[in-house]
Amino acid sequence: MFEVLKAGLETSIQDWPGRIGYWNKGFPPSGPMDSWSFRLANLLVGNPLGDAGLECQFMGPTLRFTRDGVIALTGADMQAKLDDVPVAPWQSFAVRSGQTLAMSFAKVGARAYIAFAGGIDAPFVLGSRSTFHKAGVGGLDGYALKAGQHIPVLAGQGRAGRRVKEAARPPIRSDKRWDVEAVAGPNDDWIDADGHARFLATDWKVSSKSDRTGFRLEGPQWTFTSKAYNKLPEHGSEPANILDQGYPLGAINLAGQTPIILVSDGPSMGGFINPYTVPSCAFWKLAQARPAEVFRFKAVSVREAQDGAQAIKALCVEASIEG
Amino acid sequence: MIYEQPKFSPGGDRYMLIEFGDEMNLDLNFMGQGLATALAGGTIPGVVETAPCFATTLIHYEPEIIGYDDLKREVERLIGSLGGSDDIEMDSRLFYFPTLYLDPWSRECIDDYRAKINPSKEYDPEFVARINGLDDVQQFVRVHSGTEYWAASLGFWPGLAFLMPLDPRCRLTAPKYNPPRTWTPQGTLSMGGMSTAIYPVASPGGYQLFGRTPVPIWDRERRFAEFEGDLCIFKPGDRLKFVPCSMEEYLEVERKVEEGSYKYNIVEYQRFSVRNYKNWVKRLDLNARF
Repeated sequence: MFEVLKAGLETSIQDWPGRIGYWNKGFPPSGPMDSWSFRLANLLVGNPLGDAGLECQFMGPTLRFTRDGVIALTGADMQAKLDDVPVAPWQSFAVRSGQTLAMSFAKVGARAYIAFAGGIDAPFVLGSRSTFHKAGVGGLDGYALKAGQHIPVLAGQGRAGRRVKEAARPPIRSDKRWDVEAVAGPNDDWIDADGHARFLATDWKVSSKSDRTGFRLEGPQWTFTSKAYNKLPEHGSEPANILDQGYPLGAINLAGQTPIILVSDGPSMGGFINPYTVPSCAFWKLAQARPAEVFRFKAVSVREAQDGAQAIKALCVEASIEG
Repeated sequence: MIYEQPKFSPGGDRYMLIEFGDEMNLDLNFMGQGLATALAGGTIPGVVETAPCFATTLIHYEPEIIGYDDLKREVERLIGSLGGSDDIEMDSRLFYFPTLYLDPWSRECIDDYRAKINPSKEYDPEFVARINGLDDVQQFVRVHSGTEYWAASLGFWPGLAFLMPLDPRCRLTAPKYNPPRTWTPQGTLSMGGMSTAIYPVASPGGYQLFGRTPVPIWDRERRFAEFEGDLCIFKPGDRLKFVPCSMEEYLEVERKVEEGSYKYNIVEYQRFSVRNYKNWVKRLDLNARF
């Protein structure tokens, strides 16, 4: 369906919800980091919400189509042009064989999604086409897109001119600040009251050493309860060391004194405490945040976090489409 | 200790962590694995998957099907029906892995960390030997390679096994890196807390580094029959023995791995009896070192 002329910055094939069921062997789910935008892209081109598409990061790819079809762009605006004519995101449009889609850098936000009517046809690995390129799993050959590759797309029934209503789109912020939900636990009892207050009152800066495995945050030191000091040696002697345990996806993993939010390609287990967990309804914010931008965390209950996921799900439906 | 009642904690909107205790021992590992096995057959609707480790089970659930409180109640009931581990007797494969302790590549990785992140980081083998009261790194190698390791669980990265020393005389402990490395070479042998692990591929990591094995534990291209069609060599309940080797042996094995002719050294006739193991441990002088 298309040839990769320029790969962009680690552009990868992803499907949703990704590679589920192998957390106990160390396989992350992978999948799109902003699954809200991803699902809407599929909806625009008439695909099931989870079909494989492309995730573009910061700098998108340039693609030449080898047959006619319908595609849609969502997420960050990467100033896409089809044969030098600007095309707007959040709507489906027709592409003809021989035309070139050129994406540039993201003006606002960080990750854009491209859905192709029919969906990308890559081999399933453990039930998913999602790419986990750090271990060479999924996608076309285990890795991010490379120039010269030909990517097959299955036959689809897309229609051009469909648009996502403004109110159904994730409100990607341009002021470099993000209010991110966080649920206390599972290891919140290792942090003292001052530590909790400091966590919620700090402007955490997103480190440039962030990627699909984790978002490193820069901010103040953490302080601990006696549990972090009075423990058996098998935990490790540093206060944030704990006997290795399963990690929730979204865990704010306290690696020594550096909090790292574990995201789509993150580790499933390890020996650091997780005082808070970012719920799935806030993953799109992580996906669209850029290095040096600021996270402010807001404590929510398990129930509020679950309601948040439902609210996003309720927007990824046909009623959100016009045209 | 093993807790009177397991501790339940939420992890965001779709995870629950169950802690059975706070130490590394076989009983706790069997509780974590036992609950995971009990949940595997769709026993509780809404449970998507589990990730058991040394003394915990993490549950990934679908909140549209079951809420946190209902799940907690169901899991409590299930835990009540699990038996003790003393009667467990199971097949347990034993792997022999040629290992170059004190290798140049992990040293290079530590040098890189010292150059870029923390110049005062003491070299890992020297550091681990010192804080465990060993004479020198040679004794560290002797003690570390002096025991079989128990594959308590798989996780962190595809194929990585969390390994527990079965001989209590070989227990060593170490803190994890602060901050962790962004990169570790494939095949590096490492430890953190009391757990040992091999890095399956180059990846970030927080364990102390002190050796390297050329034997792959992860087979993306499915080149080795010993993986039996799986991408990962280990299963929980396997055992592993590190066999110290020379640089020449390391390179020879690495060459065979590259050409696909390497044959894994696996012993498959033994059964592991928890009762026999505990009786053996009772007779040991726990303060002895090799």
